[in-house]
Amino acid sequence: MTAYALYLVVSLSLNLEAGFAGVPNFGKVMFVAAGAAVAGSVSGRLAALILSVNTHGDYNGFIAQIITQLDSSLSGNAVLSIEILLLGILLAAAIGATLGFLTSYPAIRLREDYLGMLLLAAAQLFQIFLGGYEPLIGGTQGIEVPDLFAWAGNGIEVRDVVVLGFLALFAGLVYFYAERIARSPLGRTLRAVRDNEVAARALGKDDVAIRRNVIIVASAISAMAGALLTFYVGAVNAEAWTRITWTFWIWVMVIIGGAANNAGVALGAFSFTFLFKVVDQVKFYFQGSIPFDVNWLEYLMFASLLILILAFRPGGILPEKSSVTLPWRSVAQIMQPKSRIVANPTQQSSTPEPGKSDQTDKLGSPQTT
Amino acid sequence: MVSPLLLDSVVYASLFGLMAVGLTLTYLTTKVPNFAYGSFVTIGSYTSFSVFRIDHVNPYFSVPLAFLLGALVSVAMYLGVLRMLARRGSSLVALMISTLAIDIAFVGIFGIYSDYLTSHYGIVDSKNFFRLLADFSLYGLPGLFYTAPISLALVTTALFLFLTRTRFGVAMRASVENPSLARVLGIDVERTYVFAWFLAGGFASTAGSFSALWLQGGTTVGSGLIVEIFAASVLGGLASIYGAAFGGLIVGASEILLTQAGITVFGSWISIYQKGFPLLIMVITLLLFPRGLVSVNWHGILRPIAAFVDLLANRLSEIFRFVRGK
Repeated sequence: MTAYALYLVVSLSLNLEAGFAGVPNFGKVMFVAAGAAVAGSVSGRLAALILSVNTHGDYNGFIAQIITQLDSSLSGNAVLSIEILLLGILLAAAIGATLGFLTSYPAIRLREDYLGMLLLAAAQLFQIFLGGYEPLIGGTQGIEVPDLFAWAGNGIEVRDVVVLGFLALFAGLVYFYAERIARSPLGRTLRAVRDNEVAARALGKDDVAIRRNVIIVASAISAMAGALLTFYVGAVNAEAWTRITWTFWIWVMVIIGGAANNAGVALGAFSFTFLFKVVDQVKFYFQGSIPFDVNWLEYLMFASLLILILAFRPGGILPEKSSVTLPWRSVAQIMQPKSRIVANPTQQSSTPEPGKSDQTDKLGSPQTT
Repeated sequence: MVSPLLLDSVVYASLFGLMAVGLTLTYLTTKVPNFAYGSFVTIGSYTSFSVFRIDHVNPYFSVPLAFLLGALVSVAMYLGVLRMLARRGSSLVALMISTLAIDIAFVGIFGIYSDYLTSHYGIVDSKNFFRLLADFSLYGLPGLFYTAPISLALVTTALFLFLTRTRFGVAMRASVENPSLARVLGIDVERTYVFAWFLAGGFASTAGSFSALWLQGGTTVGSGLIVEIFAASVLGGLASIYGAAFGGLIVGASEILLTQAGITVFGSWISIYQKGFPLLIMVITLLLFPRGLVSVNWHGILRPIAAFVDLLANRLSEIFRFVRGK
């Protein structure tokens, strides 16, 4: 369930970037990992500073005893814990936004294929940096993070419920935000920029600024998710943030569920986590009779599923909906009085579109061979 | 004695050149960056490994088999996935994602295969093996020091002859430059594309089977290399095969040499960032000259320099004559 909440958040952010605004982010893992790194390196140090815990000048070196001290201090202090939690999340968002801003420079200027390669490379470079630069999060060993939910009781159940509630609240907020954007004029602008940036520009929309802002927001959201995962797990480790898990699986959720459709993405993320659990349960039944680990089949399964969806239902399970428009009656009313004909030509053009679902995929214009 | 640095650079550079040539071939034909290309390399690596460990045959003899396997898998990927999706009107991003999907599928396939090697043949290091110590030695140097650059040279020359002297090769060039016009002329564009992918897969696995003799092997060999291979292709210019070979040489050599230089200047902690240098090169290339080295206006740079040198030489000879009292 916690995994679902976090996957949902990251895939919603990818949906904003790639589904609505048409920026293919193949380096998603970089932003999530950045949030995790910030949460891991800053929150503990901050807590140590506030609670006057001695770090002996080498935070990473004495991490184990520092964290033990912090945990015991924090378990009695709910307010401080929540403050550090929120601050960690906000800081992660800020760093994510900064990274997004830096990424937006090439993202706006490069074509999709070059952008894909660049982001993939940047993400790998970032991972090397995370793993190599020890003072940040202890390199490949990783460091622990103070348990910011210790105040919720020592019993596993109570703490888990609190954490789950928190994550669910966060995911719900992000979903609400994404839906509000999708149904707003901004959402329509995003889609316009995605589908035909020249036309959007001709209509006066600053497509460069729009894409830049979308990337910044989406990156901030992903970073927050990364921070939350770190706080939930209690440790951060450079090796855990793999390209497969946090770039590829996220794309799988978005595409299978339905790009540019938040409900679709939610469904995609759910199906993904659900299928994983199913395979986990079912595999014991035939693990014995196969000479290899059944888990490998999951990769094959999702890869084929993705290709099948791309081939036969490119819009995803829940394809993109047409824009929300005025009901026909309102349009008729607006069109009626003859004296107002010249008032607003744009309103007359908003004809109600049929609610048919589109079969073409909305990630970009279809390729002509 | 040849320094290990030179050894490393030569082998690395040649391998990357070989791989980059194949990647550019796939990009030229479909205009889609093939993120699964690294998996073809892994196929070659595992072919050498299996042949060596199971049949005790020298990996060099497995190169033809690796070539064929990689080539066939590559063609299967092109026909079964990319062409199928392109015919259904998939967008460029969707095609890119499909190549990522194939890469993921290969993670599963290699996992299954390595598990099979372990359970059936008792090979314990199937998931992560140290380089095969099966290379021959010539004048005190490992065979790869000779075979890798020679292979690259052979491949590049053969490609050049193929693309310029044979009808099919010229047809392939036409199909890449302007498919519609090529079709009008009666060229079977699809056949040339299939052959290009055949070659590309073959080159990748050949490089892979060589790499089993030089680098650590395992299930993630290819996916670890893919970004660096892209760096090589992008540096050379995705539109040029010879650029790719050149870019591969530069990226491969600079990875070794820059890391060494960095260690000398900054200290040994730089060695962790070795893999980062090709990526840095790629980022810089994409930001400054995205079309690669072949697109840089060398004439525009070289001509003024040549003119300046010419001027300098003239002035100097004048002064020289004056001083001699002419």
